[in-house]
Amino acid sequence: MERWHPVSVLSDLHRGEVAGVRIDGHEVVLWREDTDSATLHAWEDRCPHRGMRLSFGFVREGALGCLYHGWQFGGTARCRLIPAHPNVRVPAAIQVRTHMVREHAGLAWVGMEGAGAFPATMPVPWPVVQPVRSVHVSAGAGLLRHALGMHADVAMTWRGPVGLAVHAPVAGQAMLHVVRARDAQAPSPLVLSRWAERLRDGVEGGGDTTRIMGELA
Amino acid sequence: MSDALVLHDWTPDVRCYAVRLGLSLMGLPFATRAVDMDLAPGQRPAGLESGLCPPVLQAGRTRLSRPCTILLFAARQPGVAPTWLDPVQGWVVMDWLDFGATALDTLATLRTAAFGTTLPVLPGTVPLEALLRRMEDHMAARALAGEAWFAAPAPSIADVVLFVVFALSADLGVERDTCPALRRWARGLRRLPGFVVMPGVPDYA
Ligand code: FES
Repeated sequence: MERWHPVSVLSDLHRGEVAGVRIDGHEVVLWREDTDSATLHAWEDRCPHRGMRLSFGFVREGALGCLYHGWQFGGTARCRLIPAHPNVRVPAAIQVRTHMVREHAGLAWVGMEGAGAFPATMPVPWPVVQPVRSVHVSAGAGLLRHALGMHADVAMTWRGPVGLAVHAPVAGQAMLHVVRARDAQAPSPLVLSRWAERLRDGVEGGGDTTRIMGELA
Repeated sequence: MSDALVLHDWTPDVRCYAVRLGLSLMGLPFATRAVDMDLAPGQRPAGLESGLCPPVLQAGRTRLSRPCTILLFAARQPGVAPTWLDPVQGWVVMDWLDFGATALDTLATLRTAAFGTTLPVLPGTVPLEALLRRMEDHMAARALAGEAWFAAPAPSIADVVLFVVFALSADLGVERDTCPALRRWARGLRRLPGFVVMPGVPDYA
């Protein structure tokens, strides 16, 4: 799908953290540098050496280290150190495939191959947005979007001070990402977390979720 | 000085790993007697009467055979930081420990079913996914409340048992990108002094 996918709330991606996500079946590793810039990266979740998932790795000194044999990949996605051969200059060709990534509305967005520039037309109606939680829903993303009243081509919707975004890790599965305006009128993060669980259970149960959505009104 | 601790241990068993991990995190020295449960009972090294399965902890005349009871016993030993069985949150720790005991048994049963056959067929992981979901919902709420551990302000023996459940469920093909709160919590546990890995299992968590 040629578009940007909301894949995680930013509160699950602090400095020095690594997370594996899937986007329509593609495995992607998200990691944030432990440096002052704290840059967020989204790469293919596969080590060029032996194919280990990089999301099992660790961030150290601005690089993502593979768990298997410790190859280190810096912010440019090029391999910068092979621990077994510390004095060898690493060939430039050894690098991880990268994806585009953006931080927007309390969420990490990944642009897969073919995605255009990040849409400037994705307004956030609130000055300060706070991530709440990403919740797994064992049902197709289409069903979840339907429950949320979202069109298939819309990535995010707002119900007053509550922002809701959906992505499909694999067919038949969905992740619901919840953010809120940092505003006295908005439901608390904990209340929204419990609400998201009820919605998840409702969507998975196949029942009518209108009443649960109505709780946000 | 309390009696020396002797653990009858079967390396690949998840319940034994929970005990080894807990004793190591709590800084309790113990001696290991390896028991190979794959051998016929008559061929196993002496020391464990028939009918008993590892983990079994021997401390003087006390002999304990359930992993969570062993961890409770360990957390009460002199010299162990009281936070492992937080005095204020003790009941909450026990509640999650009880949950963890069931979850550990579920995990052990599924692993036996998965790896005890030459067929590359993974058993249904639905029971495990239901347990992990309850854990994920709980830890998501804890994180929103500014807490990093299951039951108390510091890591407790409940975190030890539940870590094993989460970390080794990957072996059965349960996906972890659906459990972001557990992922962050498990990374925190791995950073604790005394953390040990399960041999033969990649460091997934
Ligand atoms: S597979 Fe990554 S370093 Fe070998």
